[in-house]
Amino acid sequence: MNLKELYQEIILEHGKNPRNLRKTEGFNKDAKGNNPLCGDNVHVYLKLNGQKIVEDASFEGSGCAISMASASIMTDLIKGKNEHEAKEIVQDFLGMIKENPELKSEYLSEDEKTKLMCLSGVKQYPMRVKCATLSWHTMVSAFDENIEEVKTEN
Amino acid sequence: MKIDQIKKEFPIFDEKIHNNDLVYLDSANSSQKPKVVVDRINDFYTKQFSNVGRSVHYLAVAATNLYENTRTSVQKYINAKDKNEIVFTKGATEALNLVANTLGQSYLQEGDEVLITELEHHSNYVPWHFLRKSKNIKINFAEINEEGEITLDEIEKKITPKTKLISITHLSNVTGAILPVKEITQLAHTKGIIVVVDGCQGAPHLKLDMQDLDCDFYAISCHKMYGPTGLGVLYGKKKWLEELPPYQGGGGMINEVKKDRISYGELPNKYEAGTMATAQVIAFDQSIKFLESIGIENVMSHEADLVEYGQELLQKNNSVKLIGNPKNKGGVLSFTIEGVHPHDIATILDEDGVAIRAGHHCCQILHDKLNIPASARASVGIYNTKDDLDQLNNSINNCKKIFNL
Ligand SMILES: Cc1ncc(COP(=O)(O)O)c(C=O)c1O
Repeated sequence: MNLKELYQEIILEHGKNPRNLRKTEGFNKDAKGNNPLCGDNVHVYLKLNGQKIVEDASFEGSGCAISMASASIMTDLIKGKNEHEAKEIVQDFLGMIKENPELKSEYLSEDEKTKLMCLSGVKQYPMRVKCATLSWHTMVSAFDENIEEVKTEN
Repeated sequence: MKIDQIKKEFPIFDEKIHNNDLVYLDSANSSQKPKVVVDRINDFYTKQFSNVGRSVHYLAVAATNLYENTRTSVQKYINAKDKNEIVFTKGATEALNLVANTLGQSYLQEGDEVLITELEHHSNYVPWHFLRKSKNIKINFAEINEEGEITLDEIEKKITPKTKLISITHLSNVTGAILPVKEITQLAHTKGIIVVVDGCQGAPHLKLDMQDLDCDFYAISCHKMYGPTGLGVLYGKKKWLEELPPYQGGGGMINEVKKDRISYGELPNKYEAGTMATAQVIAFDQSIKFLESIGIENVMSHEADLVEYGQELLQKNNSVKLIGNPKNKGGVLSFTIEGVHPHDIATILDEDGVAIRAGHHCCQILHDKLNIPASARASVGIYNTKDDLDQLNNSINNCKKIFNL
């Protein structure tokens, strides 16, 4: 176990000053997620343009440093991607958080991969994995236009 | 037994957590188990096991006697008038559901009001909510004051002519407030109102005397009382338990079963349908004996010392904010740290072997009222020491350092 790996500077910084913590004006997709066990909640907003590319992504909610940083980094790097790319990135991220040593997606730049890998310390803390993944599941739900709230029990 | 010897009686403290000694501050969630309780479960299964109350063979008779011995021990421990006022359940949650369900079947009517408080655990709210749905009863909430207490005045203010029942916690599992249950009961009874007490946090830490408290029902969680999981106790006044209908149907709770009619068994069998948590009941006798060997007065003064010490430490620690400041407080220290979410606090403390709880502690109503999504909670038991609280404080400081506070 290594707290330093979990709470890297970049995570603390994003946790403290989350990017895109707001509600996108004119969003056309959104979904809510919550973590009934801990009371964390998140609302993800997406604005897709005519070419189905994410023009803006944002979120509202509250949670621990891990969940806030994760949502912050996610909403930053999803901009400019289309639905297919975004969903593949989600799968890649979920795989990495649970077991894979690295990220593989061709849709992520080296820089983006480095940023996301800051969250890899969560792997060693099984109880905290759901904190890191809540906003990602919620984003998929927004793309799929699920009305039901995402729960992190699964 | 000397207080400083107590930790040795709990085998879990021989374990290392991330290479550190265990500092267990989560007893409000569930307490650790003394060796006598663990051994008793093992012994029963190894040498004495049989189902109770159903066969006439040697083992069955012996097991039935042991099972009933615990009932008598509980009766004496809580000073209930009658042994048959003690019903075993699967936990305090089931005890509260039993009360709400049976009162809902035969006593509460549409439009009746039930008064609970903002401090209640979900298990003392959701069962009443079921009746709100099925019977159209109304639920009112007594509100906390600045200190996180529920006063007798507030209860009095919230009673209406339609109030039929008051269901309250004895000791808040978040603010630690000890409610004036005896006074509330006196007041309620002058108005013909039934009183149900969620005694989960009261039973392990306070002196219990049912005849003195005079409440109508009292729910106990055995796993918080140095006993096994899967077990609770419902104390109910005999007149209620005799009058109310059964809760669950099945073997053991019947008198006579015919194709066209069924009659139910006498107390306490009436409320103990099916095979019960036999080994747990039998082992719980050891929990009571263990508490008796220390003496509840000693438990109370030891824990009061700990809370006072812990409260002072945390009050002095800037950026730590304690939740509630009740005059009459049990062994619960809930807090927040400005700039650090409770989950992060709990993860960081865990690394040092300090076990606390983070979240809403099954009290969402209270956290909404306090306008916080979650809190961190350190709660004490008989095995804790001032060193444990020093370690808590040190680990909180480490947490602040990691977060650059
Ligand atoms: C105040 C309170 N009420 C009820 C419960 C539920 O008790 P049990 O786990 O025995 O069902 C708890 C325990 O979490 C509690 O703290």
